[in-house]
Amino acid sequence: MTRQSPLLATCLLLVAALNLEVSANGLVNEEVKRTVDLSTHLAKITAEIVLSNQGHSAVQSFILAVEEDLTPHLAYIGMTFSHVLRPFPTHVTQAERQLVVFQGNHYLYSPYPTRSQTTRVRLASKTVESYTKLGNPSKNDEIIEYGPFRDVAPFSEDTMKIHYENNTPFLTISSITRTIEVSHWGNIAVEETIDLRHTGAVLKGPFSRYDYQRQSDSGISSVKSFKTILPASAQDVYYRDEIGNISTSHLQVLDDSVEVEVRPRFPLFGGWKTHYIIGYNLPSYEYLYTLGDQYALKMRLVDHVYDDQVIDFLTVKIILPEGARNIHVDTPYKIDRMPNQLHYTYLDTFGRPVLVATKNNLVEHHIQDVVVHYNFNKILMLQEPLLVVGAFYILFFTVIIYVRLDFAITKDPAAEVRMKVASITEQVLTLVNKRLGLYRHMDEVVNRYKQSRDTGALNSGRKTLEADHRALTNEISSLQARLKAEGSDLADKVGEVQKLDGQVKELVCRSCQEAERLVAGKVKKEAYIESEKTLTGKRQELVSRIDSLLDAL
Amino acid sequence: MKSSPNKGVLLQYWLSGALGGWGGTSDGKHKASTNAGGSVHGNSRPGAAGGGGGKVGLSGGLTQPAGWQSLLSFSILFLACLAGFSSRLFAVIRFESIIHEFDPWFNYRSTHHLTTNGFYEFLNWFDERAWYPLGRIVGGTVYPGLMVTAGLIHYVLNLLHITVHIRDVCVFLAPVFSGLTAISTFLLTRELWNQGAGLLAACFIAIVPGYISRSVAGSFDNEGIAIFALQFTYYLWVKSVKTGSVFWTIGCCLSYFYMVSAWGGYVFIINLIPLHVFVLLLMQRYSRRVYIAYSTFYIVGLVLSMQIPFVGFQPIRTSEHMAAAGVFALLQAYAFLQYLKDRLTRQEFQTLFFLGVSLAAGMVFLTVIYLTYTGLYVRLLTCYAKIHIPIIASVSEHQPTTWVSFFFDLHILVCTFPAGLWFCIKNINDERVFVALYAISAVYFAGVMVRLMLTLTPVVCMLSAVAFSSVFEHYMGDDTKREKPPEKAEEGLGPNIKSIVTMLMLMLLMMFAVHCTWVTSNAYSSPSVVLASYNHDGTRNILDDFREAYYWLRQNTDEHARVMSWWDYGYQIAGMANRTTLVDNNTWNNSHIALVGKAMSSNESAAYQIMRSLDVDYVLIIFGGVIGYSGDDINKFLWMVRIAEGEHPKDIRESDYFTPQGEFRVDKAGSPTLLNCLMYKMSYYRFGEMQVRRGALTPPGFDRTRNAEIGNKDIKFKHLEEAFTSEHWLVRIYKVKKLDNREPLDHKLRSVVPKQKYTSKKVPLMLGGEFALQVWRDSFRFS
Repeated sequence: MTRQSPLLATCLLLVAALNLEVSANGLVNEEVKRTVDLSTHLAKITAEIVLSNQGHSAVQSFILAVEEDLTPHLAYIGMTFSHVLRPFPTHVTQAERQLVVFQGNHYLYSPYPTRSQTTRVRLASKTVESYTKLGNPSKNDEIIEYGPFRDVAPFSEDTMKIHYENNTPFLTISSITRTIEVSHWGNIAVEETIDLRHTGAVLKGPFSRYDYQRQSDSGISSVKSFKTILPASAQDVYYRDEIGNISTSHLQVLDDSVEVEVRPRFPLFGGWKTHYIIGYNLPSYEYLYTLGDQYALKMRLVDHVYDDQVIDFLTVKIILPEGARNIHVDTPYKIDRMPNQLHYTYLDTFGRPVLVATKNNLVEHHIQDVVVHYNFNKILMLQEPLLVVGAFYILFFTVIIYVRLDFAITKDPAAEVRMKVASITEQVLTLVNKRLGLYRHMDEVVNRYKQSRDTGALNSGRKTLEADHRALTNEISSLQARLKAEGSDLADKVGEVQKLDGQVKELVCRSCQEAERLVAGKVKKEAYIESEKTLTGKRQELVSRIDSLLDAL
Repeated sequence: MKSSPNKGVLLQYWLSGALGGWGGTSDGKHKASTNAGGSVHGNSRPGAAGGGGGKVGLSGGLTQPAGWQSLLSFSILFLACLAGFSSRLFAVIRFESIIHEFDPWFNYRSTHHLTTNGFYEFLNWFDERAWYPLGRIVGGTVYPGLMVTAGLIHYVLNLLHITVHIRDVCVFLAPVFSGLTAISTFLLTRELWNQGAGLLAACFIAIVPGYISRSVAGSFDNEGIAIFALQFTYYLWVKSVKTGSVFWTIGCCLSYFYMVSAWGGYVFIINLIPLHVFVLLLMQRYSRRVYIAYSTFYIVGLVLSMQIPFVGFQPIRTSEHMAAAGVFALLQAYAFLQYLKDRLTRQEFQTLFFLGVSLAAGMVFLTVIYLTYTGLYVRLLTCYAKIHIPIIASVSEHQPTTWVSFFFDLHILVCTFPAGLWFCIKNINDERVFVALYAISAVYFAGVMVRLMLTLTPVVCMLSAVAFSSVFEHYMGDDTKREKPPEKAEEGLGPNIKSIVTMLMLMLLMMFAVHCTWVTSNAYSSPSVVLASYNHDGTRNILDDFREAYYWLRQNTDEHARVMSWWDYGYQIAGMANRTTLVDNNTWNNSHIALVGKAMSSNESAAYQIMRSLDVDYVLIIFGGVIGYSGDDINKFLWMVRIAEGEHPKDIRESDYFTPQGEFRVDKAGSPTLLNCLMYKMSYYRFGEMQVRRGALTPPGFDRTRNAEIGNKDIKFKHLEEAFTSEHWLVRIYKVKKLDNREPLDHKLRSVVPKQKYTSKKVPLMLGGEFALQVWRDSFRFS
């Protein structure tokens, strides 16, 4: 019974769980082809294993062991190790190239005996300072081949040490905080705060900009820029740090992604670090799924920053809308959940729930989706608009109250009198205008009478005029008395208006009588027209005098 | 030039207008103000009353002319605020929301400290990152108004869960306050003249470049909020003089307190208001109102102003505040005499008066002597300092104002404001005395220093508004009203002339608006932290070297590293790089600055001694030779030399840095002292190899700023090494190496040099012994 399996598909038990009993169950590595890829700043080790069971019972699982030295660096069972290539020398000048040492095992570290094994090491360049020569390895350009080794005992170790040139930038994200803020108004805001460090050989001596600009191989292992791939629907991308926008970046919108060429403010040499924030908005319909009150957010737990990335420490914060309940998280791999927090931002009252999780040592393979399920009552969507409406309502209401009510603790008698007088004058004005209107109305009545000769209509018109006029005049004189009581000199003017008005009234009556006499045939038409003219002239004069007095009020 | 004939014509019109139209309104203060408020009323009422007289009384609101008027003025004022706010946003739109220039970075840093550590921590803040190794007591040496305002806004916004970053609050504070300035200018001008003039003044101040220069978005400086406080204090003062009410005066004091907390320019207020009162006394315009207003203002204002730690006891000690105290005493005496006048007979009064006068004379004499020995002496000294201490003279904004900058900053207003002043003086009343004094003193101060242009700008806006408003009132006035009293008809003012004048005025105003926008966009909206250059095809290159280098310092040096640079960059290093600096823009310690200047202008080994003694880890300089940036350190270098010479005349002499012909040259002909001093070496290190591409014919090491090929191309450092140079070489940072394990010994085993020097000095005196000495010296040489 043989089973060939790439290690990716296997399950893992920790080295600590191993004991000698395990090897007794009869599994044997028949043939192993190991590939150690050291061409980047990561060590990627793959092993193709042909496994045979020589025991008597069926085997459900087999154990993959990792050397004790490498365990802390194990990032992903693929197998990818971070920080196992040590720069040596640890400090280089700007002109020098970067040499690194890899220390590993010639053999497959396994709890089972191995029949036959080869190891192929891929390097970053042809230049190799030294390498261990176990079993006469053959070296061909960037590739060193060891083996085949026959009949290797379980847990056998033999140090493989390769010292070679590797100028790929040793870029490490020492910490990243990824904040995902979900809004039910259609937007998901993502912000990543990144601490970046060049973990290759540390720059020794001066940094010369002249050399860096003039010679292409100067500072060959330094990082000038790198590409970050954002989701295709990313909008409003910003790239900044504590002191503002980093103006050296470029954005390229492709069909299936948005590429940001991230150029730190300064080139990163060995040992240098930088810190920046990159953020963007995503439409929520691509990531947020809903069924009734149930929501599911499916997003990448960690996203691409640069190719072959190494993240030492990740913090993810997912901010859900205010009022989200029954939160449940499905993670693709184990992460450490921290206690939930509350986050307050625009128009929040009781805070948005924040899920916080951390994880150490991540690589590209960890770019996988996380799903967050939660319940959210849709009525709560109305809360924020209502809050705004309410705030404006209260504001306007306060203004209305303030303007209408008098909050003065002292009274200003002069101002009060002035206001009183003004209001009385206003009333007087309306009344006087009304009274003048009565006369105009009377004129019309008289004219109609002249045509229809209906004495009854005239008399009733005259009666209403008399009645209305008396009422108005009385009102005005009472106002005049009040003005006088306030001690305003306007009372005299109103008195004058009254006097003039009396004359106007007389004239109106006279023209009325004249008209009666005309209708009765007591006067000639010409004479009537004559007298009418003089009467109108007099009236107009009086009215204009009243007007000018009113203007003065 | 073009506007001067216009101006003559206009002035003539104004004069005739004033003579004709303003006879009636000068009869009393109250009358003038009510009339002014109702002038539009008066014009429009007959029409409305004639049309629908019955309706007016029934439905209020917009059918009433007063309703229209207040709506109109409200919207004009609102638009003025909006225009003021948005025209200050050029820098934010072109670049980003960023703090500008130098001082704002300190203010921002302090505000940040305030918001993170709280108010009391801020008041007690001892900043050990500035003025190494002295440190700076920040809480006691700043005007905290700006930081507290920004911090308070930030606090309130965050309380309401409006999560705005403190940087954005700081960036937009000045534009917001310029909107408020427009409102306070409106209020003040309304008190002085009428509502129409107030609206014009609000529009002027909203866009006038003289004020925008200090209040664009990102320019987070004291002046941004202080002009608002200044105008508002003046408004409340005018109001309190008008009403004589303690309420308004207390309001004035509170506003004054805010001004004191915000800007050192409060001294202007505390001198102008006493001057106003004094002139009112001289003009026989004393009244109870003035007495109440000033007595309250002086006492409450004094007590309040002393609450600011930085001001402390200055208001009762220094000469700047003595005028206020003197006028206070004078006013009390005057009021007392007035009181006695009513009670005593003429004879008694006269004897008492003489007694009083002689007593007062004695007092004044003693005070003068006291002042001469304390305050006045100091004041004279400061005047002296302004001219003769290089560190003050070296600041460009302390230079006298040129005529061009008056026109540049105020445009047409500078021509029209004398007319407004004339109108005010012509129809004088208590508050117009005030504005006249304000104008005259502000003109004087603006002439002394460029930066005081700022105090002139508001009054120019107000008075120009008065001028424009009167002209418009005269020439655009409602014809229907003019026709009614035919006896007032102006001789020969046909409708044609009216419309021509109106058009002309409108054109001037339009030109003013265009000029303001142009100046704002081109001259005053550069953050100066980020530079932009334009290619031939119009695309823009951003030169972000400053931030590149500062951020490198922030990320890649030790947290407690000490950075030496010229004081201009101190605040920026503290703010952006967050590193300890030796000197910064708060130039309080001249000798410390001189020491840095000395290090920069000495040769490398002498400089190393100084830098060792100051624990310097990095040296930062600005070098513009590659891109042709003229504000770099080599161009400022002579000031460093001068300031160093002031304190260390034995070691540094300015003349050493000039050629024998008296020129300052960086090429081969330059003086050897210059070519070997630290600043020169740091600026041009490895620059001699560089071919700056600017035409193919320039030799390597061609300095584009000074258009010269540098004279010393072989620069080697012994104690320094290049640590960082930004992309366009604008900022260069050098690391000061630690001492070697042991000083390498020279091969001379015994050092007799001092003795030799001593003898050689004596040689000319002892001619007889010369030969013997020579032999003696030679014997040493060959031993």
